[in-house]
Amino acid sequence: MDNRKPILELREWILSWKRGPPGKRAALLYGPPGVGKTVAVEALAGDLGMELVERNASDQRTAEAVDRSVGRASQYRTLTGGGRLILFDELDGITGTADRGGVSAITGIIKSARCPVVLTANDAYDPRFSTLRSHCLLIEFTRPTIQEVARHLRRICALEGVSAEEAAIRLIAERNHGDIRSAVNDLQALAQGRGRLTLRDVEWLASRDRKEVIFDVLRSVFHSRDCLDAKRAVDAADVDLDMLFEWIYENAPRQLRDPRDLAEAMEALAEADLYRGRIRSTQDWGLLRYVVDLMTAGVALSRRRTPPQWVPFRFPDRIRALSATRGERGMRSSIGAKIGRRCHLSSKRAVAEVLPYLRVIFENDARMAEGLARWLDLDEAMVEYLTGKG
Amino acid sequence: MWAEKYRPRSLGEMVDQVEIVERLRSFAEARNVPHCIFAGPPGTGKTTAALCLAHDLYGPGYRGHLMELNASDERGINVVRETVKTYARTRTLGEVPFKILILDEADNMTGDAQQALRRTMERYTETARFILIANYSGKIIEPIQSRCAPFRFTHLSREDTVGRLRQVSEKEKVKLLDDGMEAILEVSGGDLRRAINTLQAAASVGRPIDAETVYSVVGRANPADVRGMIELALKGDFLGARERLREMTLRYGVAGSDIIRQVHLEVFRLRIPERWKIRLAEAVGEADFRLVQGSDEEVQLSALLARLAEAGYEMGRGG
Repeated sequence: MDNRKPILELREWILSWKRGPPGKRAALLYGPPGVGKTVAVEALAGDLGMELVERNASDQRTAEAVDRSVGRASQYRTLTGGGRLILFDELDGITGTADRGGVSAITGIIKSARCPVVLTANDAYDPRFSTLRSHCLLIEFTRPTIQEVARHLRRICALEGVSAEEAAIRLIAERNHGDIRSAVNDLQALAQGRGRLTLRDVEWLASRDRKEVIFDVLRSVFHSRDCLDAKRAVDAADVDLDMLFEWIYENAPRQLRDPRDLAEAMEALAEADLYRGRIRSTQDWGLLRYVVDLMTAGVALSRRRTPPQWVPFRFPDRIRALSATRGERGMRSSIGAKIGRRCHLSSKRAVAEVLPYLRVIFENDARMAEGLARWLDLDEAMVEYLTGKG
Repeated sequence: MWAEKYRPRSLGEMVDQVEIVERLRSFAEARNVPHCIFAGPPGTGKTTAALCLAHDLYGPGYRGHLMELNASDERGINVVRETVKTYARTRTLGEVPFKILILDEADNMTGDAQQALRRTMERYTETARFILIANYSGKIIEPIQSRCAPFRFTHLSREDTVGRLRQVSEKEKVKLLDDGMEAILEVSGGDLRRAINTLQAAASVGRPIDAETVYSVVGRANPADVRGMIELALKGDFLGARERLREMTLRYGVAGSDIIRQVHLEVFRLRIPERWKIRLAEAVGEADFRLVQGSDEEVQLSALLARLAEAGYEMGRGG
C-alpha cells in the first residue's frame, strides 16, 4: 500500500529504542482520516511482538484518567519481555472540557516514557498540540491516490471472490477521496453476499447514501438568512466538502434567479475555491474554515432579491460530465506528453497548441498522419482518437 | 511536425532576434555562458535559441551536455532538489567545463521550487549554467532574475515570418497563395510555431492554400466559441453559457488561460457602453490572476460569466 515511507520511519524509530530512549520519546502520526495511521501502529506492534496499550477517543482522557491508565504502563517493561507500545489514538478528539488536562498529561507521560509512545491526529498543527508537538517526532501520512485505493479494493475483491467492474471500483475509490477505510466500507456494503459488482450497483448507492444529508445542507445554504445558520448545517452533517461544493455550485444558478444575487453567490464560490487552492499548495488545512464560510454563508447571504420559491435540487452535472469525458481527457494528455517530448513543450501546452492542428491533419491526409504517428510514437488508440474514429 | 523539422539547429541558421543571436554567438565563441533568462511570447525562438547555443558550444554531440526540463510538467520543489541538483553538481568531460540546464516554461515553477533553484544555481555555477525560459520574466523571483543575463524575445517581424513560411512551403512542395499567406500571418500574430502548424494543417487539405482553407482549418482547430458563450451570458442565460464553457474545457481540452485571453479580446469588441468594458476587463483580470494561482478553471470562469450576466442585466436597465 501507500505510505510505505512513513511506516518505515516509524519502524526505525521504534527499533531505535533498543539502544535506549531516543531524542524524541513520542511519534506523532498525522494525516487525513482513513489513510492507515492506526492500522500501521497495530501491524508494527504485531510484527515486532510488542504489547499494544491503546487509548482512543472512546476512553476518557482527563489528566487523571490518562495518568491512571497509561502512566504506569509507560514506566515498566512487560512480563514477556517483548516490549510495550503505547498508542494515543485520535488526538483531535480530545475535548477542552470533558478531557480537562488531557493533552498536558500526555505530554508529561511522553517526557518520562520508557517505551515508545505513538500518537495519531488529523491536524498536527492544532494550536492545542503546540507543546506536545515539540516532544514528538512528526511523521506524515498522506492520502493514497485514487489508483492506489482502487488497487486495494481490487485486491479485496480478488480475495473475497467478487468479480467487479473496473468502473464500479473506480467510482468507489473516487467518491472516498483517499479515505481507504470508508472505501472499504462502501465496497463491503455493496458487494457482500453477491458474486459481482456493476457500475449500476455503485451509482445507486452514491445517490442514496448521501443525498438526504446533502439536501438538508442545501436547504440551509439557499434559504438561511444568517451566517451561523448556514454554517451550522455543514457542521451538523457529515458530508464531504468537495462534494458539497459541487452541489452548491451546480444549484446556485437554479436557486438564485436574480442575476445580481447569482453574481454575488458565484463570486463567493470562486473565493471559496481560491482557499481550496491555497490549501492544496500550502497543505494548511486550517484554511478550510474559510472555504466553509464562503461556500455556505457567502452563498446564503447573496440571496437578496430572488423571491423565496421552491426549486428542486439537481445532481451536479459537472461530476457526470467529468466522468463521461475521463477517457477522452486521459487520451488527450497522453498524446500531449508524446508531442511534448518531441516538440520541446509541456504536455499541457502541447494539448492546447499542437494537438488541434494534429487533429485536422489526421482527418485530412492519411499519409502525412502516418508519418507523424510514427515520429511521435502514437499507438493505435491515439491514432483513432485523432482521426475521429475513437 | 514541420515546426520541428525546420527548427534551426545552430545559431547561424536563426534569421530573427538578430541582436540576441549575436550575443549568444559571442558566448559560444568564448566558450563561456552566464545563467540566462529568455523571456518573450510563444513561438519566438526561445527554446530554439537555447538548443542552438548548446549545439554551437558543444558540437554535434551537444545532447550529452544538456538537460532539458519542462517546468510545467515537473514544477515542484522535489524536481529541483533531486533531478536538477544531481545533474548540476556532476562534472562534465570536454573542453567546456560546464553543462547546460534548460528550464522551459520556468514561469510555471512554484515559488518554493524557485527558492530552491536559487541556491542550486549559485553553488554549482562552475559545473552548470542555467537557461530559464519564460513567457513573462516577472513570474520569476527577483533573486533569480538578478543572477541571470536577461534576453527579451519579441514577436517575429512580418518579413521573417514570410521568409520562413516560404522556405518551408517550397521544401515541402506546397503551393501557398498570397491570400493564404496573409491569412496565416493574421491568425498567427508573430508566433512562428503557430504559423507553421497552421501551414501544415492547411497543407493536409490537399489543394493550393488560400485564405479560405486557412480560416477553415483554424476554425476546426479552435472549437472554442468564446463569443457565443459571452453572448449567452449577457443575454442572461447563465446556465447555457456555463454549458458552453464546460464543453470547451472538458470535451475539447481548451485551456482556461486561452479562454480568458479570448474573453478579454471579445470584451473590447462588444457593443456595450465603454465604461462597462473596463469594468468587465477588471473582472477578467481577476479571474486570470486566480487561474495562475491554481484555482479551479471552471469555477473561476463561471464567476466571470455570472458577472457578465449581471452586467447584461444592469445595462438592460440603463445602468
